This record gives sequence, C-alpha cells and structure tokens, in this order.
Amino acid sequence: MVLTLAAPLLIVCAYSMLSRGAYGGVELPVTPENYARLFTPLYAGIFLRSFAVAGIATALCVALGFPLALFIARSRRPNLCLALVILPFWTSFLIRIYAWIFLLRDTGLINTVLLRLHVIGEPLPLLYTNGAVVLGLVYGFLPFAVLPLYAVIERVERQDKVLLEAAADLGASSTAVFWRMLVPLCMPGIRAASLLVFVPCLGTYLVSDLLGGSKTVLIGNVIQNQFTASRDWPFGAALSIVLIVAAAAMLYAGRRGGAELA
Amino acid sequence: MKRRSFLLGGAVFAAACTRGPRLNVYNWSDYVAPGTVPAFEREFGVKVRYSTFESEEEMLAQVMSGNSGWDVVFPAEDFVGPMLKLGLLAPLRHDWIPHLDQLDPAFRMPPWDPELRWSIPYMHGATGILYQKSMTPAPTRWADLWDPRLHGKITMLDDPAEVLGACLRKLGFSLNSGDPSQLRAANAEALAQKPLLRAYLNAEARDQVVAGDIVAAQAWTTTAAQAMAAAPGHLAFVLPADGFARFADNVAILRESRRVELAHQWIDYLLRPAVAASIVAATRTATANAGAQRLLPAQVRDDAVLYPPADVLARAEWLEPQPVASQKLRDRLWTELKSA
Repeated sequence: MVLTLAAPLLIVCAYSMLSRGAYGGVELPVTPENYARLFTPLYAGIFLRSFAVAGIATALCVALGFPLALFIARSRRPNLCLALVILPFWTSFLIRIYAWIFLLRDTGLINTVLLRLHVIGEPLPLLYTNGAVVLGLVYGFLPFAVLPLYAVIERVERQDKVLLEAAADLGASSTAVFWRMLVPLCMPGIRAASLLVFVPCLGTYLVSDLLGGSKTVLIGNVIQNQFTASRDWPFGAALSIVLIVAAAAMLYAGRRGGAELA
Repeated sequence: MKRRSFLLGGAVFAAACTRGPRLNVYNWSDYVAPGTVPAFEREFGVKVRYSTFESEEEMLAQVMSGNSGWDVVFPAEDFVGPMLKLGLLAPLRHDWIPHLDQLDPAFRMPPWDPELRWSIPYMHGATGILYQKSMTPAPTRWADLWDPRLHGKITMLDDPAEVLGACLRKLGFSLNSGDPSQLRAANAEALAQKPLLRAYLNAEARDQVVAGDIVAAQAWTTTAAQAMAAAPGHLAFVLPADGFARFADNVAILRESRRVELAHQWIDYLLRPAVAASIVAATRTATANAGAQRLLPAQVRDDAVLYPPADVLARAEWLEPQPVASQKLRDRLWTELKSA
C-alpha cells in the first residue's frame, strides 16, 4: 500500500521541485520555478476550464445515471441490466472513442442518415467540438455513476420502502416522493457517483485529443505534453501536484458541505 | 501491473536461458516488413527482441537510464545530437557495414552526423499539404491554409514544431528560429488560423481526408502517400513554396550494447538492397537506400511525394534540437495557442 500509493506520489513531488534536464529527466538544483511559472492567468484558465468540463460531465452522468439506476433497480432482471452496463468495459476505451469518431464525423453515420432523410442540408459539425468532448466523457464514465447509484437506490427501495409509501399515503404526488424523499435518501450514492466520475474526468487527455481534435486543451493535455514534446518533467510534475491538491480540496469541501446538509 | 511485470520478468529470464545471442531492436512502428525480422533470425541463428515506439520521447526516456536492454534504436535527425551529448551512442565501425555503399549519396553527409560516425540514415520524409484535387486554386504555399473559404475544412498537425514551423516559414523565418520576437509573430499567425481549423490531427488526418471531411491538411509524406493510395485520383500533395520541414530517421547502436558486432550485422542487413526494397514495398516509406530504389517498380521509385526532386528539397530545412530557453517559450506559446 505504502509502496504502490505513496512512493510514486513522493517521486512526483520531488520531481516537481527539481530543474529540467535539457533532454527530459530532472537535474539539481532544487527550484521553486516550476510552481512560480504555474500561477499565471494562462494556466489558471486551463485549470478552470478542466474543472468546468469535468463538472458538466459529472452532472450529466448523475442526471442520466439516476433514472437508469432506478430503472435497473425496479426491473425484473437487475443483474442482466448491470452486466449490460459493464459490457463496454470488455473493449478498450480508446477503440470505443474511435468508434465515436466514425459516428460523429461529417461523413459518419449520424450525418449520413440525417442528410438522407433531408432533415439537414449540410453535415452538422459534431466532431471536434466541446460538445463532443463532453459526450465522450459522459459516455466513458456513465457506468461509474450507475453502479453506486444502483447500490444506494436498491437499498433505499428495500429498507425505506415504508417511508416512501407513507409519503404517498399522506398525499405526496409521485414527483414529490421522487424529489423530496428518494433523491435525499440516495444522497450518499449521488456523492459517491459524482466523485467516481469527476476525478477521472479531471485528468483525462485522450477524449479532448480524439473527440476535441486537440483544439481545446485540458490540464491533462498540458501535463502529457510536458512529458512528451516539451520534455519538461519537473513542470509536468508541478502541474500534477497542483491538480491533485485542487481535486483533494474540492472533495474535502464537498464532504464538509454534504455533512452540514445532513 | 505487478503480475504483468512478473510475467514479463519470467519471459525475459526464459529468453536469457535459451542458447545463442539475442539482439534487442527498438524501432518506430510500421518501419520493417513482416518478414524482415524472422529472415534475419534464420540467417544469423539469433533471436531478435523487436519492439516499437510511437514517440521518440518514449524511446529516449527508456535509453537515458543507460541499462535499458536495447542494442539498436532509430532516432530522428534532431535526436542524434542530444543522444550523443548524453553519451548514449556507440561509434560505428564502417568496416563491419559493407553495404554502406548502398546508401543514397544525398544521405552520406547529413548535417547532424556528417561522417556517419554514430548513425546511418534509414527512412526520410517531409511535411507538406495533402489536399483534395477538387480544391481550387490548388495550394502551393502555407499561406493558402489561411484562406477563410476553407473554414472548418482544414487540419494542422498536432505537433508544436510543425505548426510553429509552418507559421515561421510563412513569415519568411527559419523553422528552427529561437528568436522570441519571431516565435511570437509566428504564434500570432497560428492564433489567427485556429478559427479556420477543424482540428489538430496527426495520422488521423489520413482517414478524414480520404473520407472527404477535410479538404486540406498539413501532413507528413508517409501519411500523404498512404492516403493517396487509399483514394487514388482524388488527392494531391505539395511541398510548400515558402519552405518546409524534412526529417530523417536513423539507425544507431547504443553504448550500453554488449552485442555490438551483431548490431552491426543487423544494420548491414537492413542496408542490403533486397531487404530495404521489401521494407519499402510493405510500408510505403521513403528509403535512404539507393540500391533498394533501383529494385523498386518505376511507379514507386518515381513517386514525387516520397522522393521529391532536388530543386524542391532545396527549400527544405531539417528540424534541429532547440536550446532549453527556446523550448520553454515554444511550449508556452503552444499552450497559449491550444487554450485560445
């Protein structure tokens, strides 16, 4: 545990305070420069955009995942449904994202069908947009939201069934039961789902490269670039550390907020 | 991961136990024919561990440790100098490479290693514009990719040196400029062009141009040759009149290698005209081997995309390694461009 979790993190931390080697790698002396370079509007903007994109993708994952998890919990074959949710993991994420390229591009399936049906006259620009990036993230991480949501909904519907029935008996409409009973009771699952989606979305670089056409840069892309074309490992390490700290701070704030609400 | 490295360790151990020497070759992907390695193994009675990389940084990160286990690697022209400075390369013994006389005379004195002491050119290419023949007027220079009528129909490479390089040449500066004001002016050009671009794509541009989604793309000769073969008659390729980048991938032996003689035999084997020709036939890359070119069918040999005439190549520049200060500025400008 210590070896697999702490050691790599400590190495990243140490790298972030060293100087860059001319051709990659790190060298002495120790320097604060990597962090100083980072606190400029340019990188602050990229961090903000990454948090916004990850936040939107998380919200959509939870909004879509909740009804899906509810449907699975109430279906007669929940195990089969869960297996279907997990099924895409049998194929590499990279290949599934390439499949989206074939669906979204100008001569792709969606545009071809819409053109044939004369719904549109010109192909819609679907690929290489911010929308495509969010779509790719939601597609990729939806299962991570569905699984904890299913677990909590299934438990609430079993254990707190009487509460839901009581609310209905006392005259609450089904909408009111959903929003004022079911959703608050499922809050721990919603928080877990948000966490499980938000954190990997924050570090992603593959989706913005492939579906965004590298036109928008997320913090994951900047970090990746430091370890490849720019060969600036210490700066890449500093960016990673700031990302980890920022994500941890947000999670902590989220937990505090959640605790106060409860 | 643990389990995987354990299995890998086991495999390495098992291979070490088998009789006979083993050569470790680390190359770019798609750079040999399917039969190249097995034929070498049969002829020399050795085993070859052959693996590929997608980016040179990946390769450099491994060999920098000095005990990566590789014998032969394939650095591009701008990596030979840095690798030499890092003390990673072994000197070549020309008397062990009799087929060196097959090398194209144009590659016998490359600027990055004029006496071929450390590396021998293997494959080469250039950066130009791949476009639909339906495009009018046909592009001739980088500036043509700033045409507002092409809005949403162009791509540039997802590579800082190439995008900035094209902008520098558009302004009449050197691709390898380290001058901050020239670099900033070039990045302003890139920023002005960005709204017109569909995306920044490398090899993926090939499918998009073949499918017709993209009208013009900044592309490497290798990608262009593959695209033109996939859509015969529809596509064309031009090396811009305002100047362009050339690259050459070279074969070199690592200083850490303990099978230097066998490594030389591998290099000599790659230089045999028949072997080099079979590689070109399988990969559609441009070889630096003159003997191989004579064995190729005329239509491959005279392919102006892969083997541009000398007067066109006179406009080319080799990409050079950048000093740290210039590299930092280039990275910053690239990040600015991407986040704009």
